[in-house]
Amino acid sequence: MKGTFVNFSRNLFMAAVVFGLAFLPVPAAQALTCSVKPDNIPITLTYHGAQLSITGQSASGDDLIVTITSEPADTALKYKEKVGGLVWMKKGTLEFKDTPHIYMLYSTDELGRILNAEDLNHNLLGYEALRAHTRIEDSGGNPADLKWFDEYIKFKKEEKVYDIQEGRVVRQHGVDGNTYQVDVAWPYQAPPGLYTVEVLAARDGKVVDRSSTSFEVKSVGITKFLSKMAFDQAGLYGIMAVVIALLAGLAVGAVFKKGGGSH
Amino acid sequence: MYMYLPIALTSVNYLVVMGLGLGVGLLSGLFGVGGGFLMTPLLMMIGIPPTIAAATDANQIVAASASGTFSHWRLGNVDFKMGFYLLIGGFLGGAGGVQVIKILRATGGADFMIKMTYVIMLGLVGSFMFVESLHAMRKNKKATATSEQTSTPAKKQGGFFAALPMQVYFEKSGVTHSALVPLVLGTFVGVLAAIMGVGGGFLMVPVMIYLLRMPMHVVVGTSLFQILFTCIEVTYLQAYSNHTVDFMLALLLLVGSVFGAQIGTVLGKKLHGEQLKILLSIIVLAVTVKIVLELVMEPTILLSYAGGH
Repeated sequence: MKGTFVNFSRNLFMAAVVFGLAFLPVPAAQALTCSVKPDNIPITLTYHGAQLSITGQSASGDDLIVTITSEPADTALKYKEKVGGLVWMKKGTLEFKDTPHIYMLYSTDELGRILNAEDLNHNLLGYEALRAHTRIEDSGGNPADLKWFDEYIKFKKEEKVYDIQEGRVVRQHGVDGNTYQVDVAWPYQAPPGLYTVEVLAARDGKVVDRSSTSFEVKSVGITKFLSKMAFDQAGLYGIMAVVIALLAGLAVGAVFKKGGGSH
Repeated sequence: MYMYLPIALTSVNYLVVMGLGLGVGLLSGLFGVGGGFLMTPLLMMIGIPPTIAAATDANQIVAASASGTFSHWRLGNVDFKMGFYLLIGGFLGGAGGVQVIKILRATGGADFMIKMTYVIMLGLVGSFMFVESLHAMRKNKKATATSEQTSTPAKKQGGFFAALPMQVYFEKSGVTHSALVPLVLGTFVGVLAAIMGVGGGFLMVPVMIYLLRMPMHVVVGTSLFQILFTCIEVTYLQAYSNHTVDFMLALLLLVGSVFGAQIGTVLGKKLHGEQLKILLSIIVLAVTVKIVLELVMEPTILLSYAGGH
């Protein structure tokens, strides 16, 4: 009975210590927070991307790394190679496994000065870390040359869905304490989906805190209606596309004849 | 200025897209080609994925060719009988061509052969039309007085074609052929078009001019009539089985192309058959040069989405 009580008080004490540590890890430190505005991006008919603002509070001296990513997925792409020493042709398909469709990274300093290579790699920060995690396979399932990863980054950058800008995160010291902010031009090329924003704070080459939030990009109105119809009622959608095109063509043909009758 | 495309999942400047429609629609009304060999690469350049570019272009051609066929029909330039035979052949050939591709793909290295066939066909057709129409233009200038005599005997067919059974007189075109001739030629173009992944207007037009000996203006109208039906079929099948038709993109394109087709038809009335032929041959040759350059020069990005030509 006594033993149980001792155990209980020890557990209580341990819990208090852990609890206290979690909230007061270092004197004068401010807990890392993260919020994104807007957290909901509607894709309307006139959508052409959006302006995102990621803000939060952080401890004053910490370096920060902000990432926006989607869930890792597999992407199949055609690759071109020189055939017969003369012409460039699509030779086959390469599968890029476990890589996010979207990868954007912003930081307060150069990545290499914030964390060492091992920590960057472990936290999937930077293209080198992505390279280490990505598996590239040809259509036969054999691992492909790693040079294709560079091409993959080039392809994604061209699509505006991969972006790294070191030193873009701005820190301010004001009445609200220490805050940070980064404004991101969200590319219209990014498909609808749920995206994760994660902020990581580092001090003396070690990760000390992290915080995350998410935002959703989704179709609304006629954009939603058409994309839903194209997949759920494909037959009707096809007939609609044909009939409207036919009517438009015939109508303009008829009107033009009247207008240009004097020819 | 911008419109978001629900299937292509990208945003485009609608003035640019309507402009593309207008330009390619003009070529369509003028020459009787669908213009897919120009439109698909142009759409890819503004960021539309290849499979969606090709399928949506077919949807747009439905409008442009309906508009063009309608005006050419009013001008009396559509040979429905000939178009019907070619169409049946085209459907058969298209279905056969798809099977041929499956076999080629299974053996590997098919893409190289397809691309080469495409370049060679474009090059041959373009050069032949260019030389022939240049020659004809010179001859017409020399012999304006005796023009009636030179044009009539050309319409008579040689021994082999005349010996075939099922001879039919095509009033609109003023030619007599065995029904088998347009059927077989339609099938041939259908097979090639399916293999190359294009509509085949640029092949069908020379076939009608040189092998079926139809007058240029009837060729344009009849070709549009045939393209109309082919593209209706393609649009429906692509929408139904691949979900690759972007209706918003098609709408933007067709707003331009239906007007373009009308302008093309009016413009075509003012030009001679030979002038039309030489212009078309120049466009076909320019496209050939562009494709050859693309093949030979190292691309800046070696990866791409699947689909396209």
